[in-house]
Formats: sequence, structure tokens, C-alpha cells
Amino acid sequence: MNLPIPYPDPMPLPAPVWLLRTLLLLTFFLHVLFMNCLLGGTAVALVCTVRRKSSAFSVRLAGDLGRLLPSVFAFTITLGVAPLLFLQVMYGQFLYASSILIGVPWLAIIGMVILAYYGVYFFSMNLSTTNRHEKKGRTTVVLALVVLLLASIAFVYSNNFTLMLAPERWLDLYHSHGSGWNLNWSEPSLVPRYLHFVLGALAVSGLGLVVMGLRQQEDAYRQWLIEQGSLLFTGTTLLNFGVGFWFLVKLTGPVRLAFVGGNAFATSLLGVGMLLPLAAVAHLIMAKAHKSPKRQLVVGVSCGLLTVAVMVVMRDVLRNLALAPYFNPNQLPVAPQWGIILLFVVLFIAGLATLYYMLRKVAIATRVQAAAAQKLQ
Amino acid sequence: MNYPVWQLGFPGGLLIAAVAVLHVFISHFAIGGGAYLVLTERRAYSQNDSELLGYVRHHSKFFALLTVVLGAVTGVGIWFTIGLVSPEATSSLIHTFVWGWAIEWVFFFVEIAAALVYAYHWDTLDRQTHLIVGWIYFVAAWASLVVINGIITYMLTPGRWLETGKFWDGFFNPTYWPSLWIRTAMAVGLAGIFGLVTAMWEPPALRERVVRWAGWWLVLGIAPLLPLSRWYFHDFPSYSRAYFSGMYPQVRHALLGAAVCTGVALALALLFALLRPKVMNPVIVAVLLVAGIGVMGSGEYLREFSRYPYVINSYIYANDIRIGQVESIAASGVARTSPWVEGSAADPRADQRHYGRQLFALECGSCHSVDGYRGMRKFARGWDAKFAGEILLHLPVVRETMPPFAGDAHDRAALGSYLASLAPAIPSGTNDKEIGQQVFAIHCAMCHSVGGRRRPLDLKGTDPEAIAGMLGTLSDINPNMPPFTGTDAEGRALAVYLSNSSQ
Repeated sequence: MNLPIPYPDPMPLPAPVWLLRTLLLLTFFLHVLFMNCLLGGTAVALVCTVRRKSSAFSVRLAGDLGRLLPSVFAFTITLGVAPLLFLQVMYGQFLYASSILIGVPWLAIIGMVILAYYGVYFFSMNLSTTNRHEKKGRTTVVLALVVLLLASIAFVYSNNFTLMLAPERWLDLYHSHGSGWNLNWSEPSLVPRYLHFVLGALAVSGLGLVVMGLRQQEDAYRQWLIEQGSLLFTGTTLLNFGVGFWFLVKLTGPVRLAFVGGNAFATSLLGVGMLLPLAAVAHLIMAKAHKSPKRQLVVGVSCGLLTVAVMVVMRDVLRNLALAPYFNPNQLPVAPQWGIILLFVVLFIAGLATLYYMLRKVAIATRVQAAAAQKLQ
Repeated sequence: MNYPVWQLGFPGGLLIAAVAVLHVFISHFAIGGGAYLVLTERRAYSQNDSELLGYVRHHSKFFALLTVVLGAVTGVGIWFTIGLVSPEATSSLIHTFVWGWAIEWVFFFVEIAAALVYAYHWDTLDRQTHLIVGWIYFVAAWASLVVINGIITYMLTPGRWLETGKFWDGFFNPTYWPSLWIRTAMAVGLAGIFGLVTAMWEPPALRERVVRWAGWWLVLGIAPLLPLSRWYFHDFPSYSRAYFSGMYPQVRHALLGAAVCTGVALALALLFALLRPKVMNPVIVAVLLVAGIGVMGSGEYLREFSRYPYVINSYIYANDIRIGQVESIAASGVARTSPWVEGSAADPRADQRHYGRQLFALECGSCHSVDGYRGMRKFARGWDAKFAGEILLHLPVVRETMPPFAGDAHDRAALGSYLASLAPAIPSGTNDKEIGQQVFAIHCAMCHSVGGRRRPLDLKGTDPEAIAGMLGTLSDINPNMPPFTGTDAEGRALAVYLSNSSQ
């Protein structure tokens, strides 16, 4: 059967594949961390606002999240732009085609992001207004909508990133609904993949709570945050073993085989990807019994973050395995624009330095203010 | 051809325009507004004006909410939309300028971070540091314009890039500098307009001070627009400068719209911001906002229109077909080139109209709809299949803004048959002149006018028999003219009409 795979852009790649892939994976890893904290964080905030009457800590956590989430949203978006750019350079012909086929939900992402973003600001600003009582009910509804919107955005992404790997399905979708009112429902791995990633997001936001706890001065709240975070991470991670297995089973034959012995790199990634979260869970549980649990917690969180890094690489390996019958970016002609790449690197470092300068100034000023406030008390 | 076509039911270009106008309106404010914030803050410090400082604090929150959310996300929205509507051109842009975009991303990142720090740390940071963060914001925001301007102007005037293929040749292209300064001026003007918006929420005494201050920004932004536009236009490609000679009514309307909106904004700014700031009220500010959108919208429309028939000048046509591909598609036919069409024009059993409709989506859909914007049912009224097929051979002559049709004779026949099926009509009337007028509308009016600006025909007094005779040899008179496909009676009626009509 002739598949309608567009030919790659006739221009050579403007950088070697290894560089593009490194940047793709690095920026995507950072994007995923923020995106997970956003999706999980809004869900946690929703639970906190629902439980506000029975738990004082919930109210406090909702407040802390309200201050953090707008910035987390901003960084989720900015960090999402870069991997999408590098993905388009290497895999554009697959991504453009699948995006057009699901054009309506794909473009709706923009509207959903705007709504969710303003929803998060609504939640954040309501925390600081005086008539708290009045607006709490509305805040819960808005937060629930935000969670729903973010979960829907994630679902559309899962659809597009599975559809771009399945050109054999494209013509049917195109000829049945050329208007772009499609989703990739006939993909067997769609639902487990989506659930795997969403549960992962909740788990990572659990780690976020642990980190928030570690930075807290007040013992009881600190303890509560660490407990809740560890519980969220452990619960969702253990559940994710089951969902991950379901995901693996639903992968197409050759791809699945690669992960269970057929390909050494893919198989070892899967192995490490299963051991690391177990190590994270073990450390978080051990920390509970420990007198000074900081070390265990740091190791636990680090293992969790490493798991995300391994999953990001695994996701890339999965994409390359699925596309292997049709395409390998390593075969594309390359004409690196080294001069501009160098300019990018210099500006990138300057940008990071500027970011560091601003955040450091804020951190120092915040610390000075907190110390002054404590003295006053 | 290479990609599927998103069949929206209206031209995809319209969707790009809608997202783009919203984005450029906010993003230009995001640039000028950065400078406005810092300079207003500095002014408040130097004049020891705590009320003004209170205003700029409020304004910074409004600024962050509008630019960081709607401004930034609609920017990503343009990127999503062009990828859906013109994937071939988007892919080409990404391959040419990926590092430009990567650099813009760095500025974008710094810009967003600085905007949030600036808006939410008034009480945390000392004055000096807060001002520095404001400047960091403005520099990063303007630098992202410096980068994206290179890519936008490249699409209209790729300059030496067409020969060398080098990044900097495409980036610093002939319209780079005038466009950069026009956009910078617009950014300053929009900072003034939005400064007025938030001024309306302030108490009267402060409002008056802010209105005058914001009014200066507006005037300073508008004043250089005319000379800068002339400079910009001077560097336009020669083919598109001709579009401004008056033959395209839409260009005339957009120019008029831009001029009126600029004039209204300048007059209102001078009158109600500088001379009588007390009178400034939300209604006048709303008019200024609309005028601002009008100036930006018409400017962007004219730039896009001037690029026709290309999406990347002399490289990719507006329908996303590469210039170099047209000949090969004409030789091998669309069905053998695009995997996305069902059936084949060469197959006599295939449904020709269905095939033609797919070609319409593929080659015409980015600019034309059937019934809506640039609707073809209206244009193709009365066309017969043969005539429509012939017209397709001469598209760039019919309209300079149209790409050539890419396909073989079978493809033309199929698309012609589809177009002819849209609005079949037989000219009718009580006398030859009335019928002839309709025949003229069907067969000639695409290219000619009687008494108009477009290739006027003046055959008044010519013997109708002679005109009717000429109808049989149109292609000999000018090879770009399709043969007359009407009946003999229609030909005679047309001749009578032309012989009795004058300019």
C-alpha cells in the first residue's frame, strides 16, 4: 500500500541530528517537569479548595499553589515552544500531516490554553482578595474547569503524537473528515499512553509537594506537605506500573518487541525506567521512618526526576522505532549553520545569566523581607 | 500537494489573518508597553509622584495579564495555524530560520520571566533593581521583534537569499529596516493607547496627568508612520508595487482604512490627550483602540496582499505549491503527484466533479471558498466546463495575484467541470444588449471592464459583425485569451452589447 507520507523538506537540516535531538530532549524534559507540576498542581489545588473546611493545611497549600501556578503556566508554555520547534525540523512531514488531520482539536489547544491560563490567574487573584468567602465556590468551579481543560489539551497532544506515527491511518481520516474533526481513536495505545502520562504528571507534582515541604520552615506544615507529596507520588507511581504494562502491551508488535529484548538500548531504558521509580518510592517510604529524612527525600526526588528523564528518552526511542519503516532523520542531508548556532549558544547563556540575575535578586529580596518580618514579630 | 488540506469551508488565509491581527495588536503593545512602564515608573520616582507610581503598578498587572497570556499564546497560535494552513511554507521557514527562532525563543523566555518579576515584585525589589528588570523586559521584547521581523520581511522580499540561500541574506532583506522601524513606531503608539485604557480607571486629577503623558506616546508613535511607510513601500517588490496603482479595490480600501484610522488616532490624540486631556473618556479611548486595530489590520493585510501570488516570494506560491514543482505537476498530473486525492482525472470511470472538488481544495482553498470569502460560485456564474478549463491556463493573467494552475489537461478539465457545476446559468433577456451584458459578465469580465480601470474595452461604434468575427480568433489576438465558448446567438448579443457600450 502506498502511504501518503509527505517528502521531507528539500532544504538540508540546519544542524546535525545529534544537536537537534539533544536540544529537543533537553527542552522537552524541562517542559514536561513544568507541565506535570501545572497539571498535577491544579488538580491538587482543586482537592485543597474542596477540602478547605476540614483542613487548614489545605487552605494554606491552595494559597501557596495560587502564588506559584501562574509562573509555572508561563514556563510550561515557553519551555514547550522549543521542543515543538526542534521536533518540526526533524519530523515536520509527519507532524504537519497528522496535525492537519486533527486540525480542529489541534488548534482548539490555543483557545483551551488561553482559557485555562486565565482560570489559573482567577484562582490566584481570588486568594488575595478580601471577600474570600464569597468567591470560594466559584474558585472551585473555575479550578475544576482548568483541570478539565489541561487534561483535554494533554489528550489532544496524545492524539497527535500517536497519529504522526501511524501514516497508515491518515488517508481514511482525511477522506472521511477532511475538515479536521478527527481524533486518533483507533490507536490501540492511545488511552493507556494518555493515562500513563497523566498519572506520571500527578506523580511528579507529588515530588513538587515534597520539594515545597523541604523548603518550608514550619515543622507541622513541612511534615504534612512531605507526607501528602510522598503519598501522591507513591500511589500514582504504583498504579502507573499497571498502566505502563497496558501501554506496552498495546504497542505495535515490532515496537513492543524492541522494548522487551529486541533492542538492547530500548530494553535497558525500560528496565532503568522501572527501577528508578521503585528506588524513588523506597526512599520516600524510608524517609518516613527516619529522624532526619532530608537525605532520603532528596535521593527519592532525584530518582523521580531521573525517571522523567528516562521516560523522555524512551518516548523518543518509541517514536524512532515506530517511524523506522518509513523514515530516519539521520539520513537527511545536513548543512549546519555553525555561525548562527554559536550566536544562539552565546545568547542562550546570556539569557540564562539574566534569568539567574533576576531570580537571585528576587530570592535575596524575599529573604531579607522575611527576616525583617520575623524580627518585627 | 505534499500535505493534506485542512478543508475548513472558508479560506485558511482568513484564519491566519484573524489570529495574526489579534496577536500583532497585543505583541506590539507588549514591546512599546515595556518602555512605557519603565519610563513612567522612572518619571514617578523623579517627580516623587506616588499617585503616578500607583497607576504604573496597576498598569503593570494589566500589562502582564494581557501580554503574557493572550499575547504570548496567540503568538504560538499563529505558529499552529500556519502549520495547518501552509505546512510546506512553514516547514521551509523553519528549515531556513530554525536558529533565528531558537534565538527568538531565548528572548521570549527572558521577556516572560522579566514581565512576571516586574509585575509581581514591586514590593520585593528595590527601585533600582525593579527598573533594571523593566529594562531587561523591554530589551528582550524588542529583540524578539528584531528577530521575527527578519523572518516576516523575508517572506515578502527574500532578496539575495534566492541566489545564495544564506541565513543572513534572507534575514537582512530589502524591507527589513523600514519594517523594523514601522513596527517599533506602532509599538510606541500602542503603548500610548493602552496607557489611556488603564488611565480611565484612575481618579480625575491623576487621569489628566496620565492622559497627557500617554498622549505623547501615541503622537510620537503615529507621527513617523507616513514617512516610514513610504520608505517601506519603496523597497517592495516591483510586481507588487503595481497592485497599489488602483486596479485592486481591496488595496484601495485597505489604504483608505489605514489612512483614516491613522488620521483619526492622531487627531484624537492631539485634541483629547494633549490639548484637552480633561475631556478624554472611555468612548474616545475605545475609538482609539478600534483605530489602532484598523491601522495594524490594514497594514498586515496590505503586506500579505502584496506578497501574492506567493507565500514566500519567488519560492512558494500562496497555495503552498513550490514554484519548481508546477512544471512537473503539469507533466505528470496531480493524481500522480499528491497522495491525498482520491481517483484520477485520467480515469473515465471516476467522478470528475468529485475529483475536481478535491483539486479545488488543494489548489484554490487557501484563498477561495465556494460561497463565502472570495467565493467561487459568484465568480464562476454561467461558466461552462470548457471555458473554466481554459481560464485555468491563464490564472496569473486573469489576476496577477493568482498562482498558475498546477496540473495536466485532465486535471484542468476536472476542475473546470467542478467550477462550471457551481452556478450554471444561461444568459437571458428581452433584447441582445441585455443578453450581451450577461455574456460579457460570464466570458470577459474576469479580465476586462467596460468603463472601468481593469483592461478597459472600448468598442463603441464598431460593427457588431466585425466584433462577432473577432470572437472566433481571440487566441490569435492575444494567446492569453481563452477561446469564446458561448453559442453563436450569445456571441452576436455580446457583439451588440460591446458595440453599444462605451467608457
